[in-house]
Amino acid sequence: MYEFAIAGMSAPIFLLVLTGMTVGMVGGFIGVGGGYMVTPALIVFGFPGYMASGIDVMHIAGKSVVATIRHRQLGNIDWVLGLAMVGGTMMGVEMGVRLLNLTKELGLSGMALLFGSVAIMVGLFVYTQIETHRAHKKIDQLTESGAEVGRELKATKLPMFFQNISLKPIIRCHVARIIISMWVVVIVGVATGVLAGFFGVGGGFIRVPALVYVVGATTHIAVGTDLLEIVVSGGYGALRHFMSGNVDMIAVFFMIIGAMLGAQFGSIATSFVRGPAIRYILSYSLGLATVGAFMRLVYLLTAQKYGFLNFFAVVFTVGEMIFLCLFILSLVYFSVRYRGGKWVPGWIPALVVQKD
Amino acid sequence: MKALVDNMLVYWLLLLGISLGLAALVYVFWLKETMIH
Repeated sequence: MYEFAIAGMSAPIFLLVLTGMTVGMVGGFIGVGGGYMVTPALIVFGFPGYMASGIDVMHIAGKSVVATIRHRQLGNIDWVLGLAMVGGTMMGVEMGVRLLNLTKELGLSGMALLFGSVAIMVGLFVYTQIETHRAHKKIDQLTESGAEVGRELKATKLPMFFQNISLKPIIRCHVARIIISMWVVVIVGVATGVLAGFFGVGGGFIRVPALVYVVGATTHIAVGTDLLEIVVSGGYGALRHFMSGNVDMIAVFFMIIGAMLGAQFGSIATSFVRGPAIRYILSYSLGLATVGAFMRLVYLLTAQKYGFLNFFAVVFTVGEMIFLCLFILSLVYFSVRYRGGKWVPGWIPALVVQKD
Repeated sequence: MKALVDNMLVYWLLLLGISLGLAALVYVFWLKETMIH
């Protein structure tokens, strides 16, 4: 146990390092900051709520820099797309924070946050899960018929609708290989920024699906470009929280030790898999986070009468991070085995790339 | 074991079970004392 003077409590160091490592791995793999997992985990470890938020944002800013550098080396960042979006994102975050303050004045913020986050995560989970499952089946069918399948396949025509909007100026995103109206990109940035600012998160779990299903970027590009956005928004958030005294830098230090390693591995792991594998992990993370948040919501709504609900909420919060890491490690392990011509489960070949 | 792992849903449930079990151990041995309820 380590005594955190600024936070005014003690917590096991290894748990902070482990949390940083697991969320770093997941974040580097699916392009999220992980705030929706880390903040509840830090509260569970005993950190006060405002401090958990501050530590989370600070560690996200640092970890996202590492992951972004790695994704740049892998060729997963479209700078035109990222820069076109960042202005809209920052504006959206500011609007989201003001909306949150408005709900606070009306006395609705707690319930609004919980219900809102559960509704959005359920919606995203269902859509991503269904689309990814269809894409998985399509890859299986194409592979059986002998066709060569690339790193990405989507089972949705939604991006075509948005790419056909011809409002000028039109931007050409060479790395993402899309031509799209800049207004679509800016509006996606504003919308995801509002949600991020309102829920106090980096927004990756909303922005990655938006980049994939609205803008039409491949999953790998969406992950890398989103991490670039998080460096900007997370950096700004970290500065604000630091100036407000919401950060215990020793706790951040321990988390970043783990996050640096985890983010490296998570980013590199994306080169072993196809787009649907990343979308599966994203949808699982949304689904499990929803279950944990829902249990916590019911526990609070029942005036904290049923202790087992809180126990399950805690176990889900910690278990979710472990599960996602184990799944990512499995995908890399099976991908290496598949490349070596060894036996792998039948559902693996469609999800992994055989060659670099 | 191969037959179990060959089914994606079963594999998913297996991993989830292991993860929740590990999380429960973490709760019992490290978190129970420090948790805010």
